[in-house]
Amino acid sequence: MTSKLIQLTVNGREEHIAADRLTTLQQVLREKLDCTTVKDGCTQGGCGACSVLVDGELALACLLPASRLEGAEVTTLEGLNESNSVGVIQECFVEHSAAQCGFCTSGMIVSVKALLDENPAPSDDDVMEAISGNLCRCTGYLPIIEAVKSAATKLAKGGTPHEQKTSG
Amino acid sequence: MAEYLLPVSLGEAGEMMAAHGRSLAIIAGGTSAMRCGTCRGKRGRGIACIECAGPRLVSVPNSAYVMDIQQLGLDQIEADNGLLRIGAGVSLRDLALSDAPDTLRQAARRVGGPAIRNVATVGGNIFARQPYGTVAAVLLAMDAVLAFTGPDGPQQIEMAEFYASGGNAPGLLTHIGCPHPAGKLLFLKCARQRFGGPTVISVALRIELADDGSVSAARIALGGAGETPLRAGAAEELLIGKPLSAEIIEAAAAAAAENCAPPSDPVATAWYRQRMVGVYVARALAQAAGVEAAAEGEAA
Repeated sequence: MTSKLIQLTVNGREEHIAADRLTTLQQVLREKLDCTTVKDGCTQGGCGACSVLVDGELALACLLPASRLEGAEVTTLEGLNESNSVGVIQECFVEHSAAQCGFCTSGMIVSVKALLDENPAPSDDDVMEAISGNLCRCTGYLPIIEAVKSAATKLAKGGTPHEQKTSG
Repeated sequence: MAEYLLPVSLGEAGEMMAAHGRSLAIIAGGTSAMRCGTCRGKRGRGIACIECAGPRLVSVPNSAYVMDIQQLGLDQIEADNGLLRIGAGVSLRDLALSDAPDTLRQAARRVGGPAIRNVATVGGNIFARQPYGTVAAVLLAMDAVLAFTGPDGPQQIEMAEFYASGGNAPGLLTHIGCPHPAGKLLFLKCARQRFGGPTVISVALRIELADDGSVSAARIALGGAGETPLRAGAAEELLIGKPLSAEIIEAAAAAAAENCAPPSDPVATAWYRQRMVGVYVARALAQAAGVEAAAEGEAA
């Protein structure tokens, strides 16, 4: 069996990983790089729990052959934690009880981050479409939609998570 | 596990196909084929995915080699003498954002969620196991032509003929030639969710009406109604030369439902799909008739 060495930038760090054959990006991220926010849900592209950004675009890590991604820039929720907008999104998820068991939350927040980067003032329909690939079996989605819209409003006003905490 | 091949030119891809023959499976985005590849280990846990519920066109676990065509530069959409040339590797997201006809763009937007559309390709959709392949149904209604490259040189096959003969590729699909749609083009998808959600069935309708309001040309393409996307030939014939009256619409919808054999899978049963074919064909025809009436009203 042949292993191929691939070079990836994961959360800003250059990594060289031996990926044999059809190894998926999800396997690389979870098993070799300990990025455990990339959840192992269905591994079928059906649940969205492994959502990540590949070169800035939303993708499902479970469906991507790692070998295709030579030179790509991969960002998981771990890498987004420094981002101001993600801090605000996370706070709004807490405020609106948009997370219960939490399994879908990391993928959900990556999808929401991708949405708000492209569309800073989404309608309910825009949010529903953006998270249509992320399954949540706890919340019934409505708290999530509320949280996303509230995050969009806060970000439009230039809010930061730190300010929210001290003023609240 | 299959050996992974990533050719960077059509020439290299051709050599790989010649060297490995039937032991090689081709993947583009991989959103359908890769799930099949990862599903194998899950069967033991009693989870049956849609891919496992019936025969597959691309079988990753059973192939010794998997050739990924994402670096062949097949990701362009070009206008060519009134024909739209859509590269087989164009993502559904790029198709949805392109200058392609609105109906085709809407159909692309109804596939999966954003993450799937960023990766899934138009070419892959042509081969996707039913009930996927909704974009393919629209292309079929548009009389699109598939362009392959293979050991015998380039080859063009009309989509209707391609599916009628079982959907076997004579080589590597490089692009889809898509004429500008004459008449009206409509697309309806029956799914359990408004956004995302796998297709129960889908209907693509292209219809041309003569000055007297009778149908002069009709294409009804169904997704999720058989082993591949298919044309509802009996319903199309029934419409020719007739006005889009309530009786004719009902008869055509019944003919479409009677002449298809949809699959049963975890998304829907064959029984339900067959009934939805009737409902959605009728709905599409009524919309075509309604839009026409409204346009005439405006003109008057």
